[in-house]
Amino acid sequence: MSTPAAEHAPGLAPADGIAARARGLTKAYGAGETAVLALDSVDVDVVRGRFTAVMGPSGSGKSTLMHCLAGLDTVSAGQVWLGDTEITGLRERELTRLRRDRIGFMFQSFNLIPTLNALENITLPMDIAGRKPDTTWLDQVIDTLGLRDRLGHRPSQLSGGQQQRVACARALASRPELIFADEPTGNLDSRAGLEVLGFLREAVDQLGQTVVMVTHDPGAAAHSDLVLFLGDGRIVDEMRRPTAEAVLERMKRFDVIRTRPGDSGAPASPEEN
Amino acid sequence: MLKATLRSFLAHKGRLLLSALAVVLSVAFVTGSLIFSDTVSRTFDRLFASTAADVTVSPKEELDEAVPSGRTATLPAALATRVRQVDGVAAARADVKVNGLTVVNEDNEPVGPTTGAPTIGNAWNPNERSPVRLDSGHAPRGPGQALLDAETAGRKDVRVGDTLTVIAPPGSFRVRVVGIVTFRTTNPGSALLYFDPPTAQAKLLGRPGTATGISVDAARGVSDDQLKRRVAGALGSHTYDFRTAGEQAESDVEQLGGFLDVIKYVMLGFAGVAVLVGVFLIVNTFSMLIAQRTRELGLLRALGAERRQVQASVLTEALLLGLIGSTLGLAAGIALAAGLIGLMGLLGMNIDAGEMAIGWVTPVAAYVVGLGVTFVAAYLPARRAAGVSPMAALSDAEVAGVGRPLRMRAVAGAVVGAAGAAALAGCAVSQQTSSAASLLGLGVALTLIATVIAGPLLVRPVIRVLGAAFPALFGSIGRMSQRNALRNPRRTGATAAALMVGIALVGGMSVASESMTASFDRQIDKTLGADFVVQNSNFQTFPQEVTDKVRRTDGVGLVVRGRFTPVAVRLPDGDRVETTAAGYGPRLDEVANITYTQGDSAAALASGHLAMDRDFARDHDVRVGSTLPVEFPGGRSARLTVGALTDQDAAEGFGTQGGLFFGLGTLERYAPGGQDSALYVNAAAGTSDDALRAALEKTLDPYPQVQVRDMADYKRLVHDQIAVLLYLVYALLGLAIIIAVLGVVNTLALSVVERTREIGLLRAIGLARRQLRRMIRLESVVIAVFGAVLGLALGLVWGVCMHQVLALQGMTALAIPWLTIVLVVVGSAVVGVVAALLPALRASRMNVLAAIAHE
Repeated sequence: MSTPAAEHAPGLAPADGIAARARGLTKAYGAGETAVLALDSVDVDVVRGRFTAVMGPSGSGKSTLMHCLAGLDTVSAGQVWLGDTEITGLRERELTRLRRDRIGFMFQSFNLIPTLNALENITLPMDIAGRKPDTTWLDQVIDTLGLRDRLGHRPSQLSGGQQQRVACARALASRPELIFADEPTGNLDSRAGLEVLGFLREAVDQLGQTVVMVTHDPGAAAHSDLVLFLGDGRIVDEMRRPTAEAVLERMKRFDVIRTRPGDSGAPASPEEN
Repeated sequence: MLKATLRSFLAHKGRLLLSALAVVLSVAFVTGSLIFSDTVSRTFDRLFASTAADVTVSPKEELDEAVPSGRTATLPAALATRVRQVDGVAAARADVKVNGLTVVNEDNEPVGPTTGAPTIGNAWNPNERSPVRLDSGHAPRGPGQALLDAETAGRKDVRVGDTLTVIAPPGSFRVRVVGIVTFRTTNPGSALLYFDPPTAQAKLLGRPGTATGISVDAARGVSDDQLKRRVAGALGSHTYDFRTAGEQAESDVEQLGGFLDVIKYVMLGFAGVAVLVGVFLIVNTFSMLIAQRTRELGLLRALGAERRQVQASVLTEALLLGLIGSTLGLAAGIALAAGLIGLMGLLGMNIDAGEMAIGWVTPVAAYVVGLGVTFVAAYLPARRAAGVSPMAALSDAEVAGVGRPLRMRAVAGAVVGAAGAAALAGCAVSQQTSSAASLLGLGVALTLIATVIAGPLLVRPVIRVLGAAFPALFGSIGRMSQRNALRNPRRTGATAAALMVGIALVGGMSVASESMTASFDRQIDKTLGADFVVQNSNFQTFPQEVTDKVRRTDGVGLVVRGRFTPVAVRLPDGDRVETTAAGYGPRLDEVANITYTQGDSAAALASGHLAMDRDFARDHDVRVGSTLPVEFPGGRSARLTVGALTDQDAAEGFGTQGGLFFGLGTLERYAPGGQDSALYVNAAAGTSDDALRAALEKTLDPYPQVQVRDMADYKRLVHDQIAVLLYLVYALLGLAIIIAVLGVVNTLALSVVERTREIGLLRAIGLARRQLRRMIRLESVVIAVFGAVLGLALGLVWGVCMHQVLALQGMTALAIPWLTIVLVVVGSAVVGVVAALLPALRASRMNVLAAIAHE
């Protein structure tokens, strides 16, 4: 099932290429008869300069998809490219370097190193690489996220929203090809969550970044350009220019499928986690 | 509750394993030393009991020799005839037994043990109590024949028919080995030679018709005590020493006991260090386990467990640990004892490891030590566990102990530290050796406790400085490792404390020994005026013929002889002091620079006069011109006049207090039969030192026990003797470090587990495994170096105070062993790297995804 998200969406700047691509991406846990398919031959293209959301009920494989695209997890079959680089088959050391230099990460919680202050956390990937940050870009990121007066603070001195903003700044700071955000608003109150989503939107619109966000919150998904719906390890649907209501409606249909297995023609696969 | 305790014990077995190791080590050393000394003393009890005659008559000796004089006390051999006539005597033999022989083969190589055990020459009087039996060859007949023990013969490949040279006090003589004897029981490590009785008397004692003792066998039905009374009655009880077999065996064991005691105390020292450092490790482990389980304990409390129950649960875990550790330690102790017995075998002391003696005290000690240590160490953490509030189950608990203020510690540390500092200051200004030493001990103990208490407070300032260069050197990895070490000062402090204790000990001891070395050097520089000193390396004496040959060597200008004798002096203040006095030949001033405060060498060495140290004289109301009764060995006594007072550094050695000396003539008159201990040699005019040295070495070639030393060699000899003490301390340090490493491993392993998510995050955003390992390694290094720095600081203070005590003994030079200090710091960094190996490996093997998802 191909998901060509590359077509021009009205009102958006023309996409200039593919940031990440997967073909026949399969992830199985266990072997033989007890094998569980978390991802079942997924094809996906992530368009550069867009904000893509991945949704699905829990156990649908959305986190696994993100982990495989980001080089955090190995695949059972299929191929994954980041830009022109095929990352399936890369060795551990090369994957680590790839994550460090070309990918930005935001997690639901525990995003920051508690011993480092905000600025040190932001520049950490570059420090690890031994590279000097691009100061103009760094200043722009810090100012965009409004962190200027928080740079010397340790994570424990920051609110949850501020912490996620620092994590967002870190993900942006090295100007990665792709930013993966795993439930970035999951632990935040709605105001702080909206703020973070706003920043991710801004990162795409004004800074030209590419963002893939895994979420189960329709409201969060509504900030994206494109929503991919995952069910039982497959991409079952997609929605352009989503609204919270539309996404919510679509999600409800998963429950219907769930309660009547076989209706959609998809085999009922066990939960993968 | 018990089930929960057992489950929790099993769940944390990996971490408890490290603590168990600490218990095992301490218990092993305690039991090992007990088993070893029990086994050895039982073996020797048996040996001496089986070889001692029913009654032994020996020359009366009231003075013990601290420094060998070379004199062998004798009695007339004809005494045996008189004893035989006593009613109840079945047989009496005149024995000859002379220690301190040197035996060389045709190549002038020593045949006897070179490990310090004696080579003993005996008269061959075969009887059922002989420790040896003749295995091959025949009994020695006439001069020029001897038997040798099989072990020595085997070691040096001596066979029947070989010729040996025996260097005995009266002179050297050549013998042919005509037979080999084997020990019936255990060889205490010495080499034995047997000669026929006339040869032994003439060649070993130098006087036919003398003996060193009479062995008396009782007739049937006469007890040893009865026999002793009768023999003593016949000979006069004040003339000789009489001992029954039991008493003789006891006295023999006592003589050997000194050496065995040293081994025992060394082992107990190791056990003590192991216990001390082990306590830190166990306290730390339990604290960490409890910190980790705060929520779990909170849940138990919320579910209705009482404080008492929680505390009991933790203590039960500790007791289980102690039980397992003690049992394993007991087994390890048996292995250690077997190893020691094997080592003794290499030194020539053959003990049957199969006869290992394990008294009831040994297992009791094992479990008392093992259980005691764990119980004591776990008590505080258990109290803390009991204090966990039920709310802890609900809150998103940070690790307990991080946030709690260290104020209590600051106060307690400051109070104890001030008391310790006061004690050390008191020691530094004290003028009395005994009070200074006890103040030193008190100060050392108090400052150690204070540093342990206050350690966590010092973590922040010290590690900030130590790790200051890390961010610049290692970027953010360095920064994170430095801050990780600062994260939980309590834990870092406790972990480093284990290392600190060992290093403080070594720091103090090395300052003291370095100062001693420097003092001796200074003293040698100041007093030794001779070109060369001829002497043995172990203060043993050598026969007259060596002196004669040295005198006749080409290029020798002046030879001044030095001897020692035990004496007892009755002083004007009423004290009777047993000490060692030296006797020197004339022209002493040409080979030594002695500082006199009153009198001079001529007055000191004049017949019937003596010299002593000024301070000793002052302490005992002695003045120049005082006449003192002096007792000499063999019951002789004399009244000697004080002719001079000296001002010597290091006048007080072991058993040589007072710095007494007199002329050689005086010594030979009142303590005849001794041998020279040292010859101070000056080159004749026109002879170079090198030429004289070569000539002397050629002269001494047949006497491998005697060496020529110039001032540098002489210093080296002294250094080597002090170094032995230091090696022991280093061995203790090694043990302390092993246990401390376990502690660091423990702490790091826990930190890695606690920081699982953090590590997962770091790996996700691109930290390479190599970099992660380096981060943990650096943290480990900074903790270890922190412990070393604290330990060295403490050790230096102790060392300087120890030096004050030494200074009161005349060792005034203060020397700081900078090289050792640098090596210790570098070494501690290595220790850190080693300790980080496993935790770092474990962290780098962590699955990134699992780590991120970790609760």
